Amino acid sequence: MKSPSLGLLLHLAAAQAATAATLEISFKDAREAPVDDVAVWVMPKSGPAPIGKREAAIAQKDKTFVPLVTVIQTGTPVQFPNMDPIRHHVYSFSPPKPFEIKLYAGTPVAPIVFDKPGEVVLGCNIHDHMLAFVYVVDTPWFAKSKNGVVRIENLPAGDYLLHLAHYRQTAPIPPTPFSARADENVARAVALSLKPAPAIPPGTPPSTVNPK
Amino acid sequence: MVLFFVLLLMAVQLVTFLAIRYAIEQTAQNSLRDEMRVGARVFRRLLDQNSQQLVEATSVLTYDFGFREAIATRDRDTIASALRNHAARIKASGMSVIGLDGNYVTDTNDESNAGKPYPFPDLIERAAQVGRTSAIRMMGGKPYQLVVVPVLAPLPIAWVSMTFVIDDNTARDLQRLASSDVTFVALEGEQRIRLLATTLPPSRRDMVVAQAPYILNHGLDGMTTHMGTDEYEVLATAIEEAGAHLRFYAILQRDVAEGHAPYLALQAVLMFLAAIALAVTLVGAIRIARRITRPVGELADAAAQIAAGNYDVRVIPRTDDELGELARSFGGMVQKLTERDSIRDALGKIASTEVVEKLLQGQIELGGEERDVTVMFTDVRNFTALAEELTPQQSLQLLNEFLTAISEVVEEHGGVVDKYLGDGVMAIFGAPVTRPDDPQRALDCALEIRRRVEGLGPSLASRGLPNPEIGLGMNTALVIAGNMGSPSRLNYTVLGDGVNLAARLEGLTKRYHVPIVAGNRTRESVTGVVWRELDKVRVKGKTVPERIWEPMGREGQVTAPELAMLARWHEALEDFRARRFSHARAAFEVLADERGYLRLVAIYMGYLRELAANPPGEDWDAAFTLYDK
Repeated sequence: MKSPSLGLLLHLAAAQAATAATLEISFKDAREAPVDDVAVWVMPKSGPAPIGKREAAIAQKDKTFVPLVTVIQTGTPVQFPNMDPIRHHVYSFSPPKPFEIKLYAGTPVAPIVFDKPGEVVLGCNIHDHMLAFVYVVDTPWFAKSKNGVVRIENLPAGDYLLHLAHYRQTAPIPPTPFSARADENVARAVALSLKPAPAIPPGTPPSTVNPK
Repeated sequence: MVLFFVLLLMAVQLVTFLAIRYAIEQTAQNSLRDEMRVGARVFRRLLDQNSQQLVEATSVLTYDFGFREAIATRDRDTIASALRNHAARIKASGMSVIGLDGNYVTDTNDESNAGKPYPFPDLIERAAQVGRTSAIRMMGGKPYQLVVVPVLAPLPIAWVSMTFVIDDNTARDLQRLASSDVTFVALEGEQRIRLLATTLPPSRRDMVVAQAPYILNHGLDGMTTHMGTDEYEVLATAIEEAGAHLRFYAILQRDVAEGHAPYLALQAVLMFLAAIALAVTLVGAIRIARRITRPVGELADAAAQIAAGNYDVRVIPRTDDELGELARSFGGMVQKLTERDSIRDALGKIASTEVVEKLLQGQIELGGEERDVTVMFTDVRNFTALAEELTPQQSLQLLNEFLTAISEVVEEHGGVVDKYLGDGVMAIFGAPVTRPDDPQRALDCALEIRRRVEGLGPSLASRGLPNPEIGLGMNTALVIAGNMGSPSRLNYTVLGDGVNLAARLEGLTKRYHVPIVAGNRTRESVTGVVWRELDKVRVKGKTVPERIWEPMGREGQVTAPELAMLARWHEALEDFRARRFSHARAAFEVLADERGYLRLVAIYMGYLRELAANPPGEDWDAAFTLYDK
């Protein structure tokens, strides 16, 4: 059966919550394996979303960014605590947030504020294999999948656009509209078409970029 | 002989040389081809390493943080400037940045390319799959080594394409390492060859291009080809396939003569060594031949001279080796031969080979020495009378018959014929070889001669010749024996009174009409013989008279009547000597008619008559005085 790379299979299930809706999506790849680190966020069609809790930290541990994928609301200051005994040089050339923190140890005094939405790819200038992804979104309703499942709760009833992004996606996934009604749980299953792994230099601890 | 060995050696050397030459040529050909194959492997490895180095260098460059920052600015001028700077860093021909959309962002070779699609999307795809890549491609009619690497931030944000032109300089760099001429060609379609770069001089380039299709087809593992008058070993190696209709090859090429040069040098050395070996062998063979054949030839000549009787040859030993030894031995032999031949000359009259042998063996001294010998003289008494009936030839033949018979008997009995004296023989028993029974042998010999000569009678009578009469005198005495004469003509013989007496006794046989007359010492020295005393003779100059005897025969062979007669004769002789002349006369008269006594009786009757006429004095000793002949 041909994989519906962009298509979503929807079906509704019985809900239990009273005032707000809950969105639950499960992700599988072409081989039916659950997919982690899928960034998921919903944008209200009615207007700008409210400001949510804005804080995040991307640590460097064992020459690896932890976590690999971070989803934040625009304007969130992100801490980069270095837990390794060596220094790192964190940088980004991504248009939403080019920056660099030159060779530092411990936690830099000033966090980096991601003030534009979009995908930011992080690297370390002295450790080529270090890689992290930050999805900056204009909504407080976001999450990333764990064990192949993502849940967004307390979603007020209304019309939304559902955004999905994965760092190994073969192509951008267009947002899909959906409506949430009170006391309704929305559950979806999404099949993703993924690339094997990003082309990055050898010497990489593969588990961080190629979870399997 | 020498020539044969030299020719043999030359033949062997020629065969060896040809075999070595063939092996060398084969080896040279094979090793040249092997070298080419190794060279081709090295060459491909070099190309790989080259492109690998270019890839590494490009990767390092694009990892440069500043460069990545510059790319990230997306400011075209900044990027172009950075590209030129970085391309110069690694001596690249050009450098371009391609966006993730596959279009040029900027290109140092041609600014106007910006926004146009990159012409080799396959390379970007390959780089996306394996991280980075390198390839050879034609751009603007020139071959380039292209390196495509991503600009990582840390995921690819763009591609960098670095270009390195492949030209004659590139070929020359490789030529030094591959030690072959290097030619890069592109095969467009099936047959079209485009010369890309080469280390060959312009004059050779067209030939390579002309032969290239064939070389690309058949020379992938090496082949030999001719270009102009020169022979080349060539090997084609595929470098890259830049699409179905464009393939790149390198043709490695080596001058065969140049490759063979060390082998030709080796061949020259071998030839030189062979020539030296031949020369040394030749000189050695000639020297050895001279050292062997010349002395041997000289010895052969000397031997021929000696065979011809010339003993004056002298062989001078030239060396201390076996041949010198041989020459010395030969010289010694010649000397001994000379000596022996002169001895043979000296012994020319000695017929006994036994004696000659002893003399030659040095067992007998030739110098004068006193010897007790028995000397014998024989004479065919009536030979003259015999000879008168014969022609000179017949008489000489008859004489030789006698002499031969007598000589044989003498030698049979161990005597030596000392010399022939007319129709007589002088024989010696006891010199030069002394035996204890020499007198006995002499006497046996005398009796045998008497018998033999008597035996000749019938055969002579059949020829109408008278009976021969032998006269034989013999005496045993101490004589001087030795070589006598002059150095040029030595004669071994015996001298002395005893010898003279023997000769006289031989003469007395005529007087007494007996065949044999022997001296007293001979009689005393032998046994088994019946003797008849003939007389007592006084030799001139000697005071003691000699009793002379006739051997009648061996004991047992003389008949009883004869013995009786002999006894009477000796009685009569005793009467005569005791001056009982009347008794003696009576006894003689009794014997007067007896055979064998006629002459003796007549002689003694003569004595008696003379004694009657001249009565003997006190000192009469009954001896008859011998006067000179």
